[in-house]
Amino acid sequence: MNYGLTDDQASILAGLEQLIAANAAVTPVQPRHVHYSEALARAVAESGYLAIAREGGFGVLDAALVVERLARLPWVIEAAASAIVAPILPICADAGPIALSRGDGGCPARFLPMAKVLVLDQGDVAVLVRVEPGRVEWVESLLAYPYGRLDSLEGLDCQPLEDRAALRRRTRIALAVEAAGCMAAAVALVVEHVKARHAFGRPLGSFQAIQHRLAMAAEVTEATKWLAFRAAWSDTEADAAIAAAFAQSHVGSLTYDLHQFCGAMGLTLEFPLHLWTYRLRALLGELGGASAQARAAAVATWG
Amino acid sequence: MTDSLDNARQQARAWLAANVPSGPPPEEGPASRAFVLAWQKRQAESGWAGVSWPREFGGRGASVLEQIIWFEEYARAGAPSPLDASFVGLNHAGPTLIACGTAAQKAFHLPRILNGEALWCQGFSEPGAGSDLASIKTRGRLEGDTLVVDGHKIWSSYADIADYQELLVRTDPQAKSSRALTWIICPMETPGLTVRPIKTMAGPHKYCEIFYDAVRIPLSNVVGGLNNGWPTAMSTLAFERGTASVALMIGLIRKVEQLLAACPADRAAMRARLAGLRAQGASIRAMAYRVALESADTVPDASGSLVRLGFSEFVQEVAAVAIDLFGLDAPQVLRSHGLGYEYLDAFSETIAGGTSEIQRNIIAERLLGLPRGPR
Repeated sequence: MNYGLTDDQASILAGLEQLIAANAAVTPVQPRHVHYSEALARAVAESGYLAIAREGGFGVLDAALVVERLARLPWVIEAAASAIVAPILPICADAGPIALSRGDGGCPARFLPMAKVLVLDQGDVAVLVRVEPGRVEWVESLLAYPYGRLDSLEGLDCQPLEDRAALRRRTRIALAVEAAGCMAAAVALVVEHVKARHAFGRPLGSFQAIQHRLAMAAEVTEATKWLAFRAAWSDTEADAAIAAAFAQSHVGSLTYDLHQFCGAMGLTLEFPLHLWTYRLRALLGELGGASAQARAAAVATWG
Repeated sequence: MTDSLDNARQQARAWLAANVPSGPPPEEGPASRAFVLAWQKRQAESGWAGVSWPREFGGRGASVLEQIIWFEEYARAGAPSPLDASFVGLNHAGPTLIACGTAAQKAFHLPRILNGEALWCQGFSEPGAGSDLASIKTRGRLEGDTLVVDGHKIWSSYADIADYQELLVRTDPQAKSSRALTWIICPMETPGLTVRPIKTMAGPHKYCEIFYDAVRIPLSNVVGGLNNGWPTAMSTLAFERGTASVALMIGLIRKVEQLLAACPADRAAMRARLAGLRAQGASIRAMAYRVALESADTVPDASGSLVRLGFSEFVQEVAAVAIDLFGLDAPQVLRSHGLGYEYLDAFSETIAGGTSEIQRNIIAERLLGLPRGPR
């Protein structure tokens, strides 16, 4: 078994790094707690990175590598749904951005303010909605993602989706991969902080209590990433649900510890940790939370 | 419950029912200041301000049990949080002045704190000295009858709307910290002092940083003696028993009960989690009462850290369960100052005023008698 990147994957990620560097400037978006990069979103989409799972010789795992890298950035773009979920939908590769939600569109959904497509899981049925921008209302949120809601479904082009199981499976994979990237970025930031910050005459990172918990955070982050990548590779219900459940069940303790190690500085907007805290908290609550994914994993595994 | 205590409860309940302001307090700025001062003034006019303060200094002189009763009723009435901009004056600066201030300092400042005429903030933490207060670097240089202060303080709540600051500065650069610091009354309008609000991830600014550029403070503003700031800062413990936190605890327990009432019957796991939190709240409250009552006539030991540790983590768990109950996309979660804000704001609970890690060190070393670890 080889966990190293293939030459193609390494090449894809190297190209993505160049694209990220070229689009590092972020235009502020209102409301104030949203950290959306329009320029990067356009550049990533136009360069074909979000369509990679549709290319011959590539698959969901390659898309997951792209999404995980993008999730480590301090600003957000809609990548997970377009790269991981969209390939199973009856839409073309450049149909995004895509918003995923539940109910009748009245619930606030991530990325809906800029989405062209909204996928609604309504329990017994799922529908694909072509979004008309004038029908979307921004919803103020503290959670970094742009949120919006539809005024109603009336008059909108709605197309039923037959394979709801595939929709949920890919949505869980997308969630786990995005969470893995957010966790990795947050842990990396805090590791640097505890090396540089001194208390009681020594670096914070030299205190055993911090070392142990940060080591556990690193372990959780690695485990989340490899579970998510495994789910992307196997594309099975059980792996997808396990990956999402694991990610969601560890967000609370991970973000708590990371903030503890940064003290009051970590609570301010001047220190970037909150950018990933916001997103991880948002991801923690999706799809019914960790217990819903755990139940799905149990059903997929044992029936 | 004796008749007199029952009577005290009825009096408190009746007064609060008639006087608690309606509507949420303004979140920041001058409107917040005006609201806090007006509420303090209203309490003072009816003799309910400073319930823990001795009568000779204008307080109510209530016993610890009477204080608990007051704050129980305070929480039940939905009164403004005692942790607002009046907190430092009433619970820290005022008690410190009572314990260590000169007659002139007491005569000038104590009535202003009690009567809602002045707000105080704290100036202890620095960018390089949070949990480790002994590392304070802000200097106070003696020039005749003046201390000239240069340096930088941070994490000072409500400094942008305060009138005075309890300021801890290093006045003897050679001595150990226990003999090197001085506690001073710093008027916030003093030239050379700059306040910068800090935005937090929860939204409104709660903290400020303060820069001191040759800020001249008369020696008459020193409290407790030059180079005696450390014992002065600790003197608050002489009579303050943290009973104000009872109101916060009860408010939170009531919130758990409200969440339980809103939880659908078919969500068994959520109901079990909420019931567990209700029990957890009761246990912390019981511990808090024990600590407060047992230390009524003595200087408290480190048991307060048990309460503090349990309570701060309880706050965070309640904030988290509220979001999980309603869902992240619920209006009461997403809206300004909703449950999402409370969740993010609760991160500060285990950091501000002594982190949970510091509380654990205190419990391990002072209560359990374990050897002191390397610092």
